[in-house]
Amino acid sequence: MTNHSATATDVRPPAGLTLPGRPTARRRPTRAWRVAGYAALVLAAAALLLPFYWMVVSSLKTNNDVFTIPIKWLPDPVVWRNYADIWQRSDMTTWLGNTLLLSVAVTTLQVLTGSFAAYGFARVRFPGRDVLFLAYVGTIAVPWQSYMIPQFVLMSKLHLSNTLWSIVAIQAFGAFGVFLMKQFYETIPEELSESARVDGLTEFGIYRRIMLPLSRPALASLALITFVTTWNDYLGPLIYLRSPELRTIQLGLNTFVSQYNAEYALIMTGSVLSVLPVAVIFLLGQRYFVEGIATTGLKG
Amino acid sequence: MKRAIPAVVGAATALALVLAGCGGEDEPADPNAPVTITLAGWSLSTTPEFKTLADGFHAAHPNVTVELKEYDATNYDTQMTADLAAGTAPDVYVLKNLKNFYTYQSGGQLLDVSDTAGGLASVPSLGAYQVDGKTYAVPYRQDSWVLYYNKELFAKAKVAPPDGSWTWDDYAAAAKALTTGIKAAGGKATGAYQHVFQSTVQGFALAQTPGADLLSGDFSYLKPYYQRSLDLQAAGAQPTFGTANTNKLTYQAQFGKQQSAMLLMGSWYIATLLKQRVSGDADTFDWGIAPAPQFDKSTTGTSATPVTFGDPTGLGINPKAGKAEQAAAKAFLGYVAGEEAGKALAGIGITPALVTDAVSQTLFGLDGVPQDDLSKFAYAKHDTKVENPVSKHTAGLQNLLNETHSAILSGSTGLDPAIDEAQNRAKNEVLNQ
Amino acid sequence: MATLSRPRPRRSLVWRNTVAGWSFILPNFAGFAALTLVPVVALFYLAFTNWNVFGVAEWTGTANFRRMWNDASFWTALKNTVYYTVFHIPLTMAAALGLALLLNRKLRGVAFFRTVAFFPYITSIVAIAVVWNQLFSPEYGPVNAFLRWVGIDNPPGWTTSADWSMPAVILVGTWRYMGYYMLLFLAGLQTIPAQLYEAAQIDGATPWQRFVNVTLPGLRHTTFFVTVMLTIESFKVFDLILVMTQGGPGQSTLVLSQYVYQKGFVENQFGYASAVSIVLFAICFGVTLVQFLVNRRVER
Repeated sequence: MTNHSATATDVRPPAGLTLPGRPTARRRPTRAWRVAGYAALVLAAAALLLPFYWMVVSSLKTNNDVFTIPIKWLPDPVVWRNYADIWQRSDMTTWLGNTLLLSVAVTTLQVLTGSFAAYGFARVRFPGRDVLFLAYVGTIAVPWQSYMIPQFVLMSKLHLSNTLWSIVAIQAFGAFGVFLMKQFYETIPEELSESARVDGLTEFGIYRRIMLPLSRPALASLALITFVTTWNDYLGPLIYLRSPELRTIQLGLNTFVSQYNAEYALIMTGSVLSVLPVAVIFLLGQRYFVEGIATTGLKG
Repeated sequence: MKRAIPAVVGAATALALVLAGCGGEDEPADPNAPVTITLAGWSLSTTPEFKTLADGFHAAHPNVTVELKEYDATNYDTQMTADLAAGTAPDVYVLKNLKNFYTYQSGGQLLDVSDTAGGLASVPSLGAYQVDGKTYAVPYRQDSWVLYYNKELFAKAKVAPPDGSWTWDDYAAAAKALTTGIKAAGGKATGAYQHVFQSTVQGFALAQTPGADLLSGDFSYLKPYYQRSLDLQAAGAQPTFGTANTNKLTYQAQFGKQQSAMLLMGSWYIATLLKQRVSGDADTFDWGIAPAPQFDKSTTGTSATPVTFGDPTGLGINPKAGKAEQAAAKAFLGYVAGEEAGKALAGIGITPALVTDAVSQTLFGLDGVPQDDLSKFAYAKHDTKVENPVSKHTAGLQNLLNETHSAILSGSTGLDPAIDEAQNRAKNEVLNQ
Repeated sequence: MATLSRPRPRRSLVWRNTVAGWSFILPNFAGFAALTLVPVVALFYLAFTNWNVFGVAEWTGTANFRRMWNDASFWTALKNTVYYTVFHIPLTMAAALGLALLLNRKLRGVAFFRTVAFFPYITSIVAIAVVWNQLFSPEYGPVNAFLRWVGIDNPPGWTTSADWSMPAVILVGTWRYMGYYMLLFLAGLQTIPAQLYEAAQIDGATPWQRFVNVTLPGLRHTTFFVTVMLTIESFKVFDLILVMTQGGPGQSTLVLSQYVYQKGFVENQFGYASAVSIVLFAICFGVTLVQFLVNRRVER
């Protein structure tokens, strides 16, 4: 898959080509094409949203109407009461609070330490660097369920199990962020940091002043992905958390499922409520991906 | 921190026992010394049995407080394994499935409770927890599989309801007759519903077939049972395995909402059905319990004892519990298997380990429980075999047979090749370990 | 890729770089080493033992690996994992890149469409399994109803058929993860300087030429990251299959991660489970290493 990059050297930015040429002959798509394009997009969106739609519809049904043959795509009667019920019957507020706390803490730590470490791997050359980096990436390849017991024993010895700290500890220092950020730093031309060095900036200064601002899209995607992963993590909280007041949204919902195992409508109500905050955060975060940010476009 | 005081008390108690020369007693020497033992449970707000046991015991032994620790119902064993491995498990824990008993016992995670078990000889399923003459856990509930049926749908289809004389062939014939009868009367319900669990086929086959032995690696005894299920599916007398699986059909809705006229299920469903009738999740209709269909005529009829299966649910003691806690826990175990606890459990619709007349009366006194004689017979009288023998190989064989189950019922593999493959795999992957 | 200037490698410089590099890496590495690396190293030891989680692990040398060699289920799981991987990687890659290109333009409602594309990844996996299973339901599902309508008399049994369960799972896997990788590609697209496109346009390049000569080379670092992560994630696929088919029918969708879980947590053979996960790790690591080497060669 990486072979195509052989052509990378073929396209060099012609030096000094920043002249705003005439409005180039960008072909305007005709109206018909545009409508067809939108129609296709809307159709694709519908296909992507189908399970979510089903969740919403199910959350408005009675329990025994959720699974029927064939599927009922409209709720009848519409049971709004489910949304009031779930707040009463479960600890949604606690769960949401815990999950938010964890997601924010883990995301902050992951983005900070990950992007920091990535700079060391991407831009500082020292003996053993590549081997160390491979060890980082290698551990991603080990399935967690195979070492979770040794890890749990270790965490219990540290008296961290059954605390929220345990989730922060196992999630925040993953290799994922390091790898992601390293890949993005490497797209930033070396000459930029080189000239900064000449100007007397320290390595930390280069990281802070040049790398971070230039890798905003990457930081945004790392933050979004970490946030969602932590938000939706089930196995971690399942193994580490026991006290009801520590439950996260996924753990809480699943306990709820096994507690009221025939109350599918309520379960779907909970699922809808758990997805919405993430969707909002994504909607806010995606604006960092704007066409035409030329990261190397420092006029110099 | 919490442990420190009871530990001191425990040490003092032990010393007192030695000085007084009255070893062999289960109770602490000072019966008033306060002790707190922790007990694992799951889904506490909807599974009242743990609180019932804890409260009942505390009433009889005011100095012992039983504190509940909540676990996840579906992943109970995963969480418990982690806790035991790390030494953070509670003093008393539930053996939710008998098949995990071997794991905990062979792993040294269960205290020998033979001295307590000595006084419980009349509890039928105690033997399931014995290894080399020693007892490692005590059952508090014993479910067994029975046939639930909808009397109204039987009447609608004009089919004679079960009378306790059914073999599997009678059951299959009734399922088909019901399906056509209900259709003729303008209904959509199927005659039977077979849930996706492997036990719905394999549990009965192993318990009822003479000479059947899971550990022999010869699974030919499964064939007639699977053949009947496949026939019923093909005849449309029960939803297919594929449909049940892909549509996540629940047996509670299938029977409770009158989608199917018959359901084979464990006795735990009694409590669920009663609760759902009240909440409106199940319809209110006339229902009954009959003995599970039998392998042949020799065990049918109300003068014989029908053979069925079902695993006990037991309690065991964590060997890492303190001395005082161990003593209190043993007393607790003695309580949970007894008649007092039995009546309390029956009061919430649960079948205790020891079903006495008093227990039966309590259960049939509940609102909504059928009152006919066959239901009472089916509830109280049966020869309940454990679903699986306790052995090192059980978990492996169960996994493999679960895969066989889905392969056969989905129609992916023919019956004979599937059983052959299972036997080969059992020989080469499990029994040789 | 020459880092720093190219002076004689002076000792003090190496020393200084090592200190600088480590000071960047350390905050993340400390957490990573203590909480992930230690248990993973323990796992390597446990793979050579007979361990039932509670007692002391008993050293058995290579017995676990010899057993694996003769274990037909292991080979089935390996074969299924490879089957999944081989189809999941290119499909997801193509879908994710396509989505990213489509949604990296100035388009009315682009924020909405991006969020929609990300939705499958944030929707609760239980809901996904439920809905897709119902859609695939052989007798009553809309998918087969459609196939019958277009004239296919004998539509596949999807998740209830040993032959079609894996394609069904692959389809849902692609559907679920394409939005996730789209996000990474979106971030990657931001790093391609706009001047390159302008230059290509002035040179009269067709859209396809622009894609091949500007976009693909510009995405090289991202593509590499996505390839590695996608490979690892595919080899480790677990929860999606567990909720969709539980490995069935029969063993038709049994994958290695699930086999590890089954042997460990269900059958309590943690030594053997560790050995299987080491093999899974070795395969992932081998493939990743090849990708690294190819990538490095391309960079030169």
